[in-house]
Amino acid sequence: MSKKIGVFVCHCGTNISATVDVEKVAEEAKKNNPGVSYTTTYKYMCSDPGQKLLRDKIKEEGLDGVVVAACSPKMHEHTFRNASKKAGMNPYHVEISNLREQCSWVHPDKPTGTEKSVDLVRMMTEKTRKDKSLNPIKVPVTKRALVIGGGIAGIQAALDIADAGHEVIMVEREASIGGHMAQLSETFPTLDCSQCIMTPKMVELAQNENITLYTWSEIEAVDGYLGNFDVKIRKKARSVDLDLCTGCSSCWQVCPSKKIKSEFDMGLGKRTAIYIPFPQAIPSKPVLDREHCLLFKDARKKNIPPNDSKVCRKCLDICPIAPVKAIDYTQEDEIITEKIGAIVVATGYKELDDISMYGEYGGGKYKDVITGLQFERLASASGPSEGEIQRPSDGKVPEIIVFIQCVGSRDPAKGCSYCSKTCCMYTAKHTMLYKHKVHHGHAYVFYIDIRCPGKGYEEFSLRAIEEEGATYLRGRVSRVYKKGDKLVVLGADTLTGSVVEIEADMVVLASAMKAQDDAEKFAQKLSIQYDKDKFFSEIHPKLKPVESSSAGIFLAGTCQGPKDIPETVAQAGAAASKVLALLSADELEREPVVAKVDRLPAPIFSTCIGCFYCQRVCPYGAIESEDIKARDGSTIKTVARVNEGLCQGCGLCAATCRSKSVELAGFNDEQVYAEINSVEFN
Amino acid sequence: MIEELRKKAEELLKNGTVKVVFGYGEGSVPERTRPVFITKPEDVNKLTWNKYCVYNLTTYLKRQETRKLGKPALILKGCDARTIIVLLKECQIKREDVYIIGVTCDGVGDPLAEKCKACDVHTPLIYDDLVGEKRENKEVPFEERYAELDEYEKLEEKDKWEFWQKQFEKCIKCYACSNICPLCFCDRCIVEKNQPQWIDPSAHPRGNLSWNVTRAYHLAGRCINCEECQRVCPVDIPLNLLNKKLAKEAEKSFDYRPGYNIDDELAMSTYKEDDDEDFFK
Amino acid sequence: MSKAEAKPENQFEPKIIAFLCNWCTYAGADLAGTGRKEYQANVRIIKLPCTGGIDPLFLIKAFERGADGILVSGCHPGDCHYNSGNYHARRRWNVFRPLLEFCGINPDRIQFSWISAAEGGKWVETINGIVDAVRELGPFESYQKLNTIGPETSGGAADASSETG
Repeated sequence: MSKKIGVFVCHCGTNISATVDVEKVAEEAKKNNPGVSYTTTYKYMCSDPGQKLLRDKIKEEGLDGVVVAACSPKMHEHTFRNASKKAGMNPYHVEISNLREQCSWVHPDKPTGTEKSVDLVRMMTEKTRKDKSLNPIKVPVTKRALVIGGGIAGIQAALDIADAGHEVIMVEREASIGGHMAQLSETFPTLDCSQCIMTPKMVELAQNENITLYTWSEIEAVDGYLGNFDVKIRKKARSVDLDLCTGCSSCWQVCPSKKIKSEFDMGLGKRTAIYIPFPQAIPSKPVLDREHCLLFKDARKKNIPPNDSKVCRKCLDICPIAPVKAIDYTQEDEIITEKIGAIVVATGYKELDDISMYGEYGGGKYKDVITGLQFERLASASGPSEGEIQRPSDGKVPEIIVFIQCVGSRDPAKGCSYCSKTCCMYTAKHTMLYKHKVHHGHAYVFYIDIRCPGKGYEEFSLRAIEEEGATYLRGRVSRVYKKGDKLVVLGADTLTGSVVEIEADMVVLASAMKAQDDAEKFAQKLSIQYDKDKFFSEIHPKLKPVESSSAGIFLAGTCQGPKDIPETVAQAGAAASKVLALLSADELEREPVVAKVDRLPAPIFSTCIGCFYCQRVCPYGAIESEDIKARDGSTIKTVARVNEGLCQGCGLCAATCRSKSVELAGFNDEQVYAEINSVEFN
Repeated sequence: MIEELRKKAEELLKNGTVKVVFGYGEGSVPERTRPVFITKPEDVNKLTWNKYCVYNLTTYLKRQETRKLGKPALILKGCDARTIIVLLKECQIKREDVYIIGVTCDGVGDPLAEKCKACDVHTPLIYDDLVGEKRENKEVPFEERYAELDEYEKLEEKDKWEFWQKQFEKCIKCYACSNICPLCFCDRCIVEKNQPQWIDPSAHPRGNLSWNVTRAYHLAGRCINCEECQRVCPVDIPLNLLNKKLAKEAEKSFDYRPGYNIDDELAMSTYKEDDDEDFFK
Repeated sequence: MSKAEAKPENQFEPKIIAFLCNWCTYAGADLAGTGRKEYQANVRIIKLPCTGGIDPLFLIKAFERGADGILVSGCHPGDCHYNSGNYHARRRWNVFRPLLEFCGINPDRIQFSWISAAEGGKWVETINGIVDAVRELGPFESYQKLNTIGPETSGGAADASSETG
């Protein structure tokens, strides 16, 4: 039975009717088309009476297809589909002819506009004839969130979600949560101590009953889709049983390997092989570094199980837990699987640590050329020098210190063109911290521009110059070389046009925030996009700043791009609120504009031949393979299948399929064909 | 070499490695061969090898009749073996389901087939056993490989159109081209889809144009230049020119040649951010 | 149907079918409308979610239906709503366009562009550009006049549009 289609032509006040003969459009719609059983024009179709007209006529005339010839579908497609739904018609039998934006507003000549409008209505009428009923896809929601990364972004997001009453799984790959913020000495622009504001949050997280924390753990795989992710987490062998251990500190006090560079202290301090990264670590229980542990080294050398090595068992021996010790050399990685509804990615950044790429600044060459984070550790009261600024080479307090900005940022020649955003501010902070600790010292800063667009930031930066007496020099440094125990910094002062030569005791490079080394691989694991610098991409830079390209996965903090703490916290809160909105429903409804691979009766089953080009082009990993089985269990055919939960409806698969075995609902083959076929130019 | 082939076939059939050997047998006249499907060790003497072995036997991998015979060993020239790589990548066969008896080859056909003139796979790139003395696979310059296209590319637009219209006019839509093609393996060819009917199945010039263009396009980044479509065309349409043109474009634009590397990304299912877009406005 | 009076008599009016992605170029065309930017009325738009969803068969069909020119337009590289759809589309046109050219179809009859949702002006330029270019080329008679009578013509095939040029 052919469809009964109604065509409603809108005047849009006079927006359409002034340059399009709407009566004629309606008349032609009927004349050309036996399937069109009703046509009318109306002043404002989108108005309440206009929508009522639509609803009434659907019922009275028994319409099962509607074309509204009005403005852009971006304006009111939703409106008219809703109205039709209320009248009992499946909303996907409504199509919009865009007369306003495509005719009346751009073609002032009435006959021309009218002629084109007649065409546009015919095209949509033909498409409507082929429209099929579609029903929203309902997806159940697992009410549990995963937060990846336990820095300030992850902690904030996890707390926000947990405080709203939802379960949160937090995965942190280091032995403790805290991230980079825990390493900072004081924070701009208030100069409050980072530990003082960070550690209470860490404790709060650990104590929150809704939060399950996995430290020393990494994401192994993420499968599934919005509302229904299956996440595999690798709990790396810690060699310490977290349930038994009390964190009494005996083990790391007796550990004989005491000269391992501390990652937390950016290599400036030392740690033991069994250790906690820093005193306020959460959990405050150690991890055994198998790389450096004497016992494991010995076992590797002799190729024997670690437990058989007798070289050193001091930590095990001293462990006071009984009868079973908390230290276990035989522990292995463990994979656990969690069902998750939504994910916050807060994996943070990595400071540019390969400063040897800045050999001209002495990076990697001279011990007293250090990075920004190293300076943080020197300035930190809990750092390797207990807050005294000392040169790494000889422990001398530097009297002249030079800060060089934009190291690893704003430097296209070195492949990093972006601005790292926080360095101007942290350098200003560094000059102040330095000045507060070394009163007689002098700080110089080489900069390209000073960028401090935050609340109180400009003032903070000026304070460094005007009150704390730092000398700011606009220009690049060309060379740093050693002369005696001094570092000679050769640079330009472009404001005075002179060459500057400073004999410094120490040089601090304002090294940039970089994406994590494994960012690319990690993004692929999650099927999210990343930019040229490997920072994860938000789906819209302005309107969807925390949404990743995969539905249900949100971004927080510096994994998305360089940012400071307030911005990170704000973004984490935004990501959390997006997660909460998702978890607030029991079921999600999704637009049914998804692809489908055909299924036919035996013996064909599907015209799909299983070449899986569709799978290769799908940006969402939404194409799965399905074995069509015979009764005896043998595979007759392996074909493609679309996971509706993952499909976003782009139609790439449909256009790639040579046999056209996969089609996109709402834009299926017959619909597109009908549209093309109905183009009739006169 | 023939003896070696027969011995190999016999051994494979005897020890049960394969159930059937796809090979070449003597034809009705000495200048022809025909495909043979040897299932019994005592029949291996039917196998032959000479310069008339032009066919690409991989086409029998897609046919129900020959599939039914069980795991095959195929006698493949270097060019034919490229098909295997494409078929593997396109999930049409599994490596363990075919046994490849590669033969080294200095060219087939009399006169020498066009495809052999710029051959760079005298020794197959993939095989389980190799029969014949190993040849060096010398690289052939890009221009030389596509030299056949030159005279057609040089034609004026109008002459191109006329040339191809004359060719397509002859098409009787017998689909011998797609039937013989080892890479035209769809269960339902697009031309058989009738809701909607994108390509008119009747043999008139308009439908013939869309059919021939689509057939070629569907081989973009896939065709391994075995020229079988052209060989079987009963009305002598130079179909391989279209295939070759696409191969040239794929190589020029994507630096891609199908059937050379099992680990590459199929040209038409991937992209590079810096793919050519000079023609975009 | 009558032609607009303002146009020179007998001026050939090319028929252009435009396949647009929903997110960028379709919105760009809308923006041209909102800005009341006048352009030539020869284009009929077919909207799809993404240029990556445009099968070359659509283009062939459009020519069969009497189009003198075709435009395919979508998001700029890097801006695809579906991340990579336009990149895949670009690959396709990289081989399909030379194929048609090889068969004697003037490449100006099939044009491609990236037009963002903010580029209403570019939409107008592009449409006027393709209309003018195709007008210059003249009607695609060689295609439109292709015979649809063959040895065993099936029913509905001979539905060619009436030719005006």
